[in-house]
Amino acid sequence: MLQTAFNGFVTGIIVTLPALAITLLFGVLKFPNFAVGAMMTLAAYMVFALNVQLGWPLVVATVVAAIAFGGFLIVVDYLTFRPLRERGSITLMVASLGLGFVLENIARLAYGNTARSFAIELARPFRFFDIRMNREQMIIIGVSTLAMLAMYVLLTRMPIGRAMRAVADNPALALVRGIESPRIIRWTWFIAGMLLAVGGVLIGMDRALEPPMGSSYLIAVFAAAILGGLGSPLGAFVGALVIGMVSELSTLVIPPNYRIGIPLCVIALILIFRPQGLFGQPYIRK
Amino acid sequence: MTGILTISGLHAGYGAGDILKGIDAALAEGQIVTVIGPNGSGKSTLIKTLAGLLPARQGDIVLAGTRVNDMSAPQRVRSGMSYVPQEYNVFRNLTVLENLQIAREFMSGGRASRGGKVIDDELLALFPELPGKFRALAGNLSGGQRQMLAFACALTVQPKVLMLDEPSAGLSPKYMADIFATVKQVNARGVSIFMIEQNATEALRISNTCIVMANGRVRLNAPADQVLGMQDLHSLYLGDAREELPLAAAS
Repeated sequence: MLQTAFNGFVTGIIVTLPALAITLLFGVLKFPNFAVGAMMTLAAYMVFALNVQLGWPLVVATVVAAIAFGGFLIVVDYLTFRPLRERGSITLMVASLGLGFVLENIARLAYGNTARSFAIELARPFRFFDIRMNREQMIIIGVSTLAMLAMYVLLTRMPIGRAMRAVADNPALALVRGIESPRIIRWTWFIAGMLLAVGGVLIGMDRALEPPMGSSYLIAVFAAAILGGLGSPLGAFVGALVIGMVSELSTLVIPPNYRIGIPLCVIALILIFRPQGLFGQPYIRK
Repeated sequence: MTGILTISGLHAGYGAGDILKGIDAALAEGQIVTVIGPNGSGKSTLIKTLAGLLPARQGDIVLAGTRVNDMSAPQRVRSGMSYVPQEYNVFRNLTVLENLQIAREFMSGGRASRGGKVIDDELLALFPELPGKFRALAGNLSGGQRQMLAFACALTVQPKVLMLDEPSAGLSPKYMADIFATVKQVNARGVSIFMIEQNATEALRISNTCIVMANGRVRLNAPADQVLGMQDLHSLYLGDAREELPLAAAS
């Protein structure tokens, strides 16, 4: 029971970073980005290239790739989403689905379908009371927590973070408060790119690197973001932990194969009973 | 006419047709101009066009000698045109303090020094209800408090012109009086004010000039006290827009 809960906590905390990326992007750009899974995959392979092929330490490879990937997403936005910005969220969502296929297959084309892993030493798992935890899980918890704290500081203490929340809250008012939205959009992609790159590395550490690695998390990530309330960073965090724990704990009562259905059930229940999510604001159409 | 804000031959609209069909108006420095008119007369379109949220199709908008037509909304704010929209005028998911910080950081275009107070004491004195509420979410304030916060945000950068879109809309009578008193105080600090209002009588009492709009045109441009004295004031702003107003020539 305790072990299952701990595993669920780790699954949940892996989901926090992409869930936060989705919620930031949704807040500022007002469309659900289904390419986040493939974006994590591609970023993870970038780290693989630096870490395994060039032999850089994983930390350095991750930092460099995260910054590069943030910049890459600004370019992707410029080429893919910016021309469609005035066409409404459905068009942007469909474009993100297409983009996801393209990005995932870039990774597949470059590295094939074989599962790969980062160059990290294996370490013996250790026990803490009755819970067995391995070193990767500790790194995942530590890195995710740090990233979350950094995001909290960014969103509440720094002008650019406040501006991102302001644009998410009321884009027209943001304009007349002097906030240049194109600049905020670029920052949002950059920050989302960094979160997704780190998220991709953590997934690659937890499991293995393979082209569908990111998209396999897509449902859980969306369930977390919707449960927390799309657009609410705190919600994404809480939603991810709840989804992770609930899916993992469900295996105590239902066969593990059906675990994947849990996030879908959560999405359905949330949409029926509290469409704005736990921390979201009811959507008001002006 | 010349002034701090001059509008000439302004056309704007959504889609195929123009809603504004050639607006001429001016705001003299240190004065209050109030625009009234029936629903659908183009008042809101006018103020949105001035704020830069809607492009002008023809005509000029000139702020203190500089044509601002080609400036984006944020650029206009930074050149001294502050705008308080109607109703959705604060970031509801941000705290009062964060709303003020954003105004200070972005409206000034880097002119505001970092550190120091988010809002100076003199300005804060106009809004005595705000200081105790810095940590509250703006969305949890009452309508009147939100309006005060929106004013405070718009004024953090000492604008040349303050544009108000129906500042008393949806407020209780108590707050309505407060709002107009605040508008007057702000004006006394040297800020010229361009205001749209439904509560014509209240608004005109503090105004210098009244502009009556109908069908996207200026029907009357006269001193406010003169308009207040008119027997048929009600028909001016509640009346049927298609009706030819007898006063059209008075400007």
